[in-house]
Amino acid sequence: MATSTVTNRIEKARKGVGVSGQGAPDQGRRKKKGISARAWTLLAFAFPSLFLLVLLNLYPVIYAGIQSVRDGDLIDPGNFVGLKNYTDVLTQPSFWAATRFTIIFTIVGVFGSWLIGLVLALLLRTKVPAGGLFKVLLLLPWVVPVVVSATSWNWLVATPQSPLPMLANALGLGNVLFLADPVLAQVTVCVFKVWVSFPFMMMMMASALAAVDVNVYEAAKMDGATNWQSFSHITMPMISRSTYISWILMTIFCVNDFPTIFLLTGGGPVDATTSLVVLSYRTVFQNFQTGPGVAIAFVMTLVLVIVSVVLYRQIRKVNIE
Amino acid sequence: MAAATLLAACSPSGGSGGGGGGGGGGTIKFWNMPWGNTEFNTLDEEITKAYKPEDGLGAATYQVIQWANFTQTFSSAVASNTGPAVSSGGGTQAFQFEAQGKIAYADDLLESWKESGLYDDFLPGLLDTMKVEKGYAAVPYNLDMRVLWYNTTLLEAAGISAPPTDWQGYMDACEALKKNNVYGYGTGAGAGAFTGTHALVSWMINNGGGLFDEDQKPNCVTPENIEAMDFVLEMVSKGYVDPASATYTSANVDSQWEARTFGMGYNTGGLANNVGGDVGGELAVMSPLKSPSGKQGALFFPNSIMMYTNTPSQEGSEAFLTYYYQNMTPLWTEGTGIGLPPLKSITETEEFQADPTNVKIITEWQPVARTWAAPGGDALFFDVTAVDGTPAMDTFSQSILGGNTDSKTALTALQSAIEGALA
Repeated sequence: MATSTVTNRIEKARKGVGVSGQGAPDQGRRKKKGISARAWTLLAFAFPSLFLLVLLNLYPVIYAGIQSVRDGDLIDPGNFVGLKNYTDVLTQPSFWAATRFTIIFTIVGVFGSWLIGLVLALLLRTKVPAGGLFKVLLLLPWVVPVVVSATSWNWLVATPQSPLPMLANALGLGNVLFLADPVLAQVTVCVFKVWVSFPFMMMMMASALAAVDVNVYEAAKMDGATNWQSFSHITMPMISRSTYISWILMTIFCVNDFPTIFLLTGGGPVDATTSLVVLSYRTVFQNFQTGPGVAIAFVMTLVLVIVSVVLYRQIRKVNIE
Repeated sequence: MAAATLLAACSPSGGSGGGGGGGGGGTIKFWNMPWGNTEFNTLDEEITKAYKPEDGLGAATYQVIQWANFTQTFSSAVASNTGPAVSSGGGTQAFQFEAQGKIAYADDLLESWKESGLYDDFLPGLLDTMKVEKGYAAVPYNLDMRVLWYNTTLLEAAGISAPPTDWQGYMDACEALKKNNVYGYGTGAGAGAFTGTHALVSWMINNGGGLFDEDQKPNCVTPENIEAMDFVLEMVSKGYVDPASATYTSANVDSQWEARTFGMGYNTGGLANNVGGDVGGELAVMSPLKSPSGKQGALFFPNSIMMYTNTPSQEGSEAFLTYYYQNMTPLWTEGTGIGLPPLKSITETEEFQADPTNVKIITEWQPVARTWAAPGGDALFFDVTAVDGTPAMDTFSQSILGGNTDSKTALTALQSAIEGALA
């Protein structure tokens, strides 16, 4: 077969031309048609859902967008101030401090919970006695309402008489202030987030691992691959799609996470654990400044969309490969 | 959460007063908070439903509003004209809604009470706290006091025969308690624990200071306030304050009192009941301290009942409130756990007099207690919402209790934060 013929066929295939040479009809020559009765029927069926979707999602977002360019509060819509709320927010040190903590919280939350979830999913893939019981127990941090787990963690670390500070004291570490010291409070909140989130990651990874054909491992073993080589060259690539999806979801969960932080530290001490979502809440509901508070929420949403798009492109890349 | 904030911004705004809300068919919608134990709202509902209006006026309906997210509950209801005709609520709620034109002034109501004697039954100075430029924004309902408590057993064990009466005495008592591993200034300013902030402002007021001047403008960096915060910072540096206090919740604070690691400190008038058990019986309220400036005082919150412009009948709202105030005494005499009463006649009842702690608070603390408006005035106003449970105050309290600041720096930062919130 001549090279030019092969190239020609590949080119045709890229354009979607089939073996028969017909391919997809030329868009430019497609005959213009009106909307068919079937399309109208489908649209009519979809309308109630579409209407509710617009009403419950689009309208609030549009209204919030309007609020973000006004100087009102929860009752009074206030006056139009253009982009002042955005410029005010972006020039506030508190916003950047909250952004910094949000990034730390998200990175630790996503990758900490993913690592633990992956390790546990790999361990639970092997047959262990009472494996079902372990799975249920490991799911508890995710299943228990965060109000309950935050209260439990508060009991664990808040006062010098709490179990962990007493343990630290017994180990000669002195009076460790898990929540009162700004840096330790950040660490505690991040660890709490990892603890709450790893069961979700474990489930995601477990389902991804279940889809990997065991014959591939056997073939690799016969070729002399070590366990690490099997993990890095077979397991990781084959679960990468689920991994990216779980990262996207956990990034959204972490950036939007309000109760974990607010219930444990309230954003303190001295704003050390104030994330963007906590800052947004406090601005709207404690300072009654709707415009700047909603502006923070919009900036957050924009960043989240960008991060999600970048990760989603990675998923597409994985699919193509 | 971002979505929640976006959604929260969507409460319909504008449109003041008008009918439609406040209860259909002329009924007066009364919303009240869980001010006491579980018996409070049951009895309160009974009192409300026993209201027999005069001809042409509407009856009253009763609704309990939980404290969780109450600001959002009221804001969205009032903004959408589906709110109550009469309600209690947060300590500064009336002033917030008054600034939005949603409050029906109580001037006519209070005028009518002058004839019936109800007006003169209020404790001295209380009604003044509700007066704004255009009239009375609300009517005092119950008093939430900040007072100094001490554990009698722990003080005795530290060799202190009588509770301190001035700041130096307080510092000496702290030193004596420290020898027994007890913190002399028990407090907490963590998530939702606003009492820690209230205590700091109480020290300022005790020294003749406070947060607002005569023009109702924030004025935090004053000699009185600096001296008061220096006093607190000295206690922090000397180890009289639990180093974890900055992030203690109210439950943590109560647990420290219960564990007998707190020997003294500011708290609400209900601390002994909250702690309960043997320790609850050991707790007592001391007399107000005399500060270096020779003054006395502490912060207090005159919680109120307000009327809204969105009512089927203003006459109906006023008639119901008159009935309610004439018949609300059992809320205090039947041990429902509500804060201190606003009426002298209730404080004179046998049941109230049987509690020496409450009597001490009413006779010794109430007369010297001041509102957020101190030292400039007593009448509350809209801008105090910038200091009532706000991030600025949390940050200030946590920085002081953390001890890594000085008074002037912390107060200057607070001044800027309040001004920023009011801008």
